[in-house]
Amino acid sequence: MESIVLTINGQKVTCPAGVSLLTAADQHGIKIPTLCYHPDLKPHGACRMCLVEDEATGRLMASCVTPAAAMSVLTHTPRILNHRRNIVRLMMAEHPESCIVCNKGNRCELRKIAASLGVGENGLYPMPNPIPYEQLNPFIIRDLSKCILCGKCIRADHDLVVTGAIDYNHRGFKSRPATLYEKPLEDSICTFCGTCVSICPTGALSAKNTRYAGTPERETDSICGFCGAGCSLTIGVSGRTVVDVNPSRRKVSVNGATLCMRGHFAGDFLNTPDRLTRPLVRNPGPSAPETHAPVEWDEAISLVATRLSEVRRAHGSKSLAFIGSSKCSNEENYLFQKIGREIIGTPHVMSGGWEFGQRLLARIDEETLGAGRVSPLSDLENAEVIVVVQADPENSVPVAGYHVKRAVQKGSRLIVVDAVRTDLARRAALWIAPGLSGASGILNALAGQLVAGKHFHQGFVDQLCAGFDQFKDSYACLGPNQADGLNGMSSASVNAAADLIYGKKTAFVMPANLLDFPDGSQTLNAILNLCFLTGGMGPKNSGLHVLVPENNLAGALDMGAAPDMLPGRIKIHDAGKKGMDWEALVAAMETGQIKAAYIMGENLLRSLPQRERVAAALQKLEFLVVQDIVRNRTSEMAHVILPGASVYEKHGSFTNMEGRIQTFAPAVPPPGQARPDWEILGLIVRAMGYPEQYQSIEKIRQEIRHTVPMYQGLGNHYQEWVRNAEAGNPFVCGGARFSFLPASDLAQMPVDPAYPILAHICPVRYHLGGGTRTSRSERICAYGKQGEIELAPETIRSLGGDGAGSVRVISRFGSIERAYKENRNLSEGHVLIPMAVNRNDAINLAGLTKSDDLNATGWTISRVRIERI
Amino acid sequence: MEPNSSPKPIDWNQVNAIIEEHRTRKWSLIPMLQAVQEAIGYIPPEAIEPIADALNMAPAEVQGVVTFYAGFSLKPKGKCVLKVCRGTACHVKGSRSILRHVKNELQLEEGETSPDYQFSLETVACLGACFLAPTMMVNRDYYGKLNPAKVTSVLGQYRKNREDD
Repeated sequence: MESIVLTINGQKVTCPAGVSLLTAADQHGIKIPTLCYHPDLKPHGACRMCLVEDEATGRLMASCVTPAAAMSVLTHTPRILNHRRNIVRLMMAEHPESCIVCNKGNRCELRKIAASLGVGENGLYPMPNPIPYEQLNPFIIRDLSKCILCGKCIRADHDLVVTGAIDYNHRGFKSRPATLYEKPLEDSICTFCGTCVSICPTGALSAKNTRYAGTPERETDSICGFCGAGCSLTIGVSGRTVVDVNPSRRKVSVNGATLCMRGHFAGDFLNTPDRLTRPLVRNPGPSAPETHAPVEWDEAISLVATRLSEVRRAHGSKSLAFIGSSKCSNEENYLFQKIGREIIGTPHVMSGGWEFGQRLLARIDEETLGAGRVSPLSDLENAEVIVVVQADPENSVPVAGYHVKRAVQKGSRLIVVDAVRTDLARRAALWIAPGLSGASGILNALAGQLVAGKHFHQGFVDQLCAGFDQFKDSYACLGPNQADGLNGMSSASVNAAADLIYGKKTAFVMPANLLDFPDGSQTLNAILNLCFLTGGMGPKNSGLHVLVPENNLAGALDMGAAPDMLPGRIKIHDAGKKGMDWEALVAAMETGQIKAAYIMGENLLRSLPQRERVAAALQKLEFLVVQDIVRNRTSEMAHVILPGASVYEKHGSFTNMEGRIQTFAPAVPPPGQARPDWEILGLIVRAMGYPEQYQSIEKIRQEIRHTVPMYQGLGNHYQEWVRNAEAGNPFVCGGARFSFLPASDLAQMPVDPAYPILAHICPVRYHLGGGTRTSRSERICAYGKQGEIELAPETIRSLGGDGAGSVRVISRFGSIERAYKENRNLSEGHVLIPMAVNRNDAINLAGLTKSDDLNATGWTISRVRIERI
Repeated sequence: MEPNSSPKPIDWNQVNAIIEEHRTRKWSLIPMLQAVQEAIGYIPPEAIEPIADALNMAPAEVQGVVTFYAGFSLKPKGKCVLKVCRGTACHVKGSRSILRHVKNELQLEEGETSPDYQFSLETVACLGACFLAPTMMVNRDYYGKLNPAKVTSVLGQYRKNREDD
């Protein structure tokens, strides 16, 4: 790259061509003060704090917007300092005198700069801008009288989060960031991601903190414990309490300066009175006033070890089940499955995330021969076309949604295949609502179109794929435009999609619950076939992005917390060594085949369908251990409850949806006598008399690095990537080939006349999963979103209803009643039912199993009928 | 004169036709806003969202542009918009008393619109017709070398005529 030599303060420095003077100075350790500059935002030049002087001409320039050139500049001359002082004085003259009570406290950048320039009294006539204070919503306080018009919030909103809820309104002295019609934030399209709060240099925007006012005593970097994006956080702590969460300032992270509502505000669960703080043992008699009594750790651990051993001795090792968690760390899941498989010797290892995405990740890993484990979201911005299939990242993994929207802003073309016209669909070049043959019908017709027109990536197919001829033949019946009119498909949209994709680098985004759709398996096949046809896969990025709903869903799978996978994604082929799936597991508890279970970090009675059946099955167990952080319905049933630690209270590592392994350290100690989960598991290993001892996290990591090749880098650095498989990876081994998958025909999906509507039990952006943790945040519950069922206008009309009312939704498995609202972006025959609210009752509509029959659905999709009440 | 408390109803077909005509690129925002203002007399706040949607912009961004320019209004204006010049030359020639006289005649303050939506009163920094000072504009017509009597007679020409309705 071309480089430029320039002189800053008499020092000769070199910098790459095209960077600004500010960056050039920063690269050489020369600090120029700024207020409106942020490395992730386009420079704006609004605050003029970064003025520098051209030595030759004496001209003053804002260094953030002046490209570096062969020149000589001065950054701290008395003249410049005088200008900076005057600018700060003017800002202070407009600023209210509320620094003493301002929550921004010592983090206020205006105050820092004023202090460093020695501006105490501004000596000007005060002209405060009396704008009413807005704090009706439970998350963000807006005190725009403190706004210095740096535009960071607006630019973050437009360029990072790409929502567009706020912009400057009016001009001159009256100018302020405002929502449309100057409504309060809660009535605007604001998603309360809080990015603007973290980026605001003054106290104009602050997080509404219920527990503490002022500057946190210390800050620690950590990883978000909610969705699969794995955002990098800075946790602000005062005393032993987490009081503030912001995006971290680490240079490389998945989220940069952004976060979402959950990450920012839902950490309240840490301080809930429901936290488990002592080991508890169930009282023997039903007469006791409390169901559980506290005991010491030694007693609890030895009780667990003895009872597990007793059950194994009496009924055999296969009578125990181990249910791990996609919310616990890699180290914990590794140790947990090791206790199950190696120490106890049972094949029945399961994880709460199995049906929520691990099954899909395992299928993809199998079909891509272990070559597609890494899929950096930042690469979406390099994709020329992004195909989003039945996914709404705005609600499931918001940070992935920001990446997609930023890519679109930068020119990527977006194709959305979804029955719902999501927010992404409105930004798309093409939105296709799947007809009666489902998303698989559209994608297969698209593949047929690409094959027929020879519009595929010949090189990729020839060099890396096998079975193309057979695959091509299966499309023989699908000549150009064959799909037209079939089951509501239009050849115009399929052709338009084919034209968009032809010759373009294409990435695919899919939801973790893809396999739950009636045609889920066929849709996945079609996506993989399209991925091979477009050659979008590379050795360092699979181009397949699965929107993973939980922080360590991928990691738990990698660590073998799954019924048919050993650590390192080694598939178990021997049927005798495979664990049972959920339905079989529950049935085995019912029949007494499973006598004891150890559940770590999962609230089965909130997240599993048919929960009355599951509760009855758990009731039958001779011994149940639950290790969790909050009291919940599942823990109430346990014989022993072990209090674990949340992510911010322990060491560990998570693997996110991209395959990024991130380690974290505790920010606060666990409450009371609670202990990090890996420590508890280590104690159990010792109590069971196993020769190996796990007294430090490093010891577990060492073993993982040694036994799991894809985690060779674990713990070397705070951020590492999983490794793709080497053997059988077509990018590495000559001769290895990806196989095209069988395509289904374009037949109409079967419809059950008794349950004609497809219910999407969908995530919402203010809750995570079943909501065990997020529903313990008072402000999230107070937000007033009641999770109304969303109906298409046609559905409301056919029910004879109007704008508002309540409905009963009935499936083969159960029914729920809720208020409804109209959603004009929904296709007929579909209904959206938000998850997590009302004790996650929506999951009652699903059944425990999904058989292989085309008509069947998984846990988050259900066939229902609707009645008005 | 019957006071008419509501402005002229918005012809949404006309607004939609303008939006359709400009549904192309981002740079057509200002021409589109001008066309809407020309046709309707102001930018109806309810038109912001369809305009933003047509140009793939955020509604808040469109609102920002509308409120930035003094030439765009989000409030309905009167049939006759008076712009009294308060520039230096007019000031020297007594535009302050001209403005006072207009205010008295119309019973309006600056920035206000009469309840019958006949008049809106605005002031501007300079109309660029200093040789005619003191001046004012009514819609697109200039009136120069004003004195109170002339103002009264000009306003008389624009008073609502009963036969118009």
